[in-house]
Amino acid sequence: MTQTAENTKAQMRKGVLELCILSILSQKDAYPTEIIEKLKVTKLVVVEGTLYPLLTRLKNSDLLTYRWEESNSGPPRKYYMLTDKGKEHLKDLQLSWLELVETVNQTIEKNS
Amino acid sequence: MNKTLTINISGIIFYIEIDAYEKLDNYLTAIKSYFKHTEGGSEILGDIESRIAEMLQGKISVSKQVIIMADVEFVIATMGNPKDIAGDENANESNTEYFENQYQSYDTAKKRLYRDGDSKVLGGVCSGIGHYFGIDPVWLRIALLLLFFFAGSGFLIYLILWIAIPEAKTRAEKLGMKGEPVDINNISKKVKEEAEQFKVRMEKYGQEFKDMAGKNKDVPKNTVDKIVVFVTEVLMNIGKVFLKIFGIALIVLGVILFISLFSSVFGISYTAINLEGKEFIDLMLLDGKDLYLGLIGISVFVGIPVIMMIYSGIKLLFRIHYSNRWLNLTTGILWLSGLSLLLYVAVKTGLDFSQEAKNRTKTELMPYSQLTISAQELVINYGEPLDEDEDFNQEKKNKFGDYSIGELLGKKYIFGTPKVNIIKSQSNQVELIIMKEANGGTEKMSYHRAESIDYDVLQKDSLVYFNNVFKFDLKDKFRMQKVKAILKIPVNQIIFIDYSMKHLLFDVDNLSDTFDEEMVNRKWMMTEQGLKCLDCEGI
Repeated sequence: MTQTAENTKAQMRKGVLELCILSILSQKDAYPTEIIEKLKVTKLVVVEGTLYPLLTRLKNSDLLTYRWEESNSGPPRKYYMLTDKGKEHLKDLQLSWLELVETVNQTIEKNS
Repeated sequence: MNKTLTINISGIIFYIEIDAYEKLDNYLTAIKSYFKHTEGGSEILGDIESRIAEMLQGKISVSKQVIIMADVEFVIATMGNPKDIAGDENANESNTEYFENQYQSYDTAKKRLYRDGDSKVLGGVCSGIGHYFGIDPVWLRIALLLLFFFAGSGFLIYLILWIAIPEAKTRAEKLGMKGEPVDINNISKKVKEEAEQFKVRMEKYGQEFKDMAGKNKDVPKNTVDKIVVFVTEVLMNIGKVFLKIFGIALIVLGVILFISLFSSVFGISYTAINLEGKEFIDLMLLDGKDLYLGLIGISVFVGIPVIMMIYSGIKLLFRIHYSNRWLNLTTGILWLSGLSLLLYVAVKTGLDFSQEAKNRTKTELMPYSQLTISAQELVINYGEPLDEDEDFNQEKKNKFGDYSIGELLGKKYIFGTPKVNIIKSQSNQVELIIMKEANGGTEKMSYHRAESIDYDVLQKDSLVYFNNVFKFDLKDKFRMQKVKAILKIPVNQIIFIDYSMKHLLFDVDNLSDTFDEEMVNRKWMMTEQGLKCLDCEGI
């Protein structure tokens, strides 16, 4: 039972991860470690590794772009930022998220 | 004291202990393999490496300059295991298609027939076939067991399948073996899918042709290549279908041939106890065991190619590409031994026919102005007719060519039909020459056989009776025993040939070129030129 619950939660997190990343980047440009720090607070990301494939995909879909910045402690960092298309996409996602939350909440309240 | 290595991650140099290095290397290799087919996989790997470099950088200080196991373990714990990293993306990344293809190819395209060594009773044949068709192997085992009672054919089928079907050994083979069962539903699904793909491809090519037509008649090389690939693909698919049909045909034909071979061989050795089939074969052969040697020889000689036919049919049908050198060698040797056995029996028997001898006796008959030539019908019991329906050949059932086996006065003999000829005598005497012929292994044997043929011609006043059969003993075997009776009559001698001689006359020359069978019931006179019919006018 708990295993199933865990699984479902993981699926839920996965679905909104993209929205969260885009939201974080809409505040300010960030490199992966920063993004992860913020996500960890929300418990959306458990391990860091999962973030990299997702960032690459968003970048390949032209929603994100990046610039290199030198770092004091380690190799140069990729600072990600939203493209215009990414901003559009974020608005779209935010809207549907709000709608979704509303309808889901209504459904839950009605039936509980 | 520990040995360290120097490594370079994302352009930063680290000193790392050997065991830690191995752990990290394994980890990165695993991630790499997960992203091998993902678009931008190397970029992801680069990002991950640079993050690892960053983390490791934080782990070293002036007092600790070497990366140890604990550091690597921390890095791995932070990044997550390769499956989690890849798993997230693989579900919705562009490589979904790849995974689906992979899945599909295991599913139906690569579905193969293997023997299942993991759940076998004997060789895993039934469980393998069970996987292939999605049936519980228990039913197959029962069916096979039942077939075993049909002349042991179950055993043979099992053996052929065991040899023909390879055992699933690798993981991929086991997956291929256990994929979605092949049944009517997913065959039609597969066909529909392929038809759909075919349609899409055709539309694509059609579009390209249209584009081509639009852009002059300059055919891009690329398109030509595509057409070639496409045509090849279509032809190969058609070829595959034909191969399968051919495989099925081979199996069906093979099984039919096998059953007929088996039943005829089994029939001969079984019915041999009381039927004439064996008696005559026995009479041909030197001794009784040659019959069985010959039967074994012919079974192997014909049976091996038939079994190989079924075997190759199965291989074609289930696309089994694997050949068994041991099998080829064994069947080859078996086949050759079958051939040698047959040759041995044939040569041995043939040698006993090699010498021929004749026994000639001459007797003078009493002269009469007119002789009547008639056949003497011996009362022979040829036994009960085998088949009541076959009334056209009822009198002589125990027939073998011109010979038959029957009983005369309570004793069994082989009977044959003599050939009677009538020619001109050089003297004034009526002479009868009886020539008995037989073959044997030696001249002596064949002469002895010829001599022991029993044939009588009797004269009663002006009546000459030719026995309608000659006979010889069963123990003399069948060695081409023949009897020719030549009646020599002087010029002007008149004879009447009775109707009963109809089947005995053989190639009797006469002036009117009358056929043997039409010479009966007539009067003939010998002239200087030959036999002349006296009452044939108006015919």
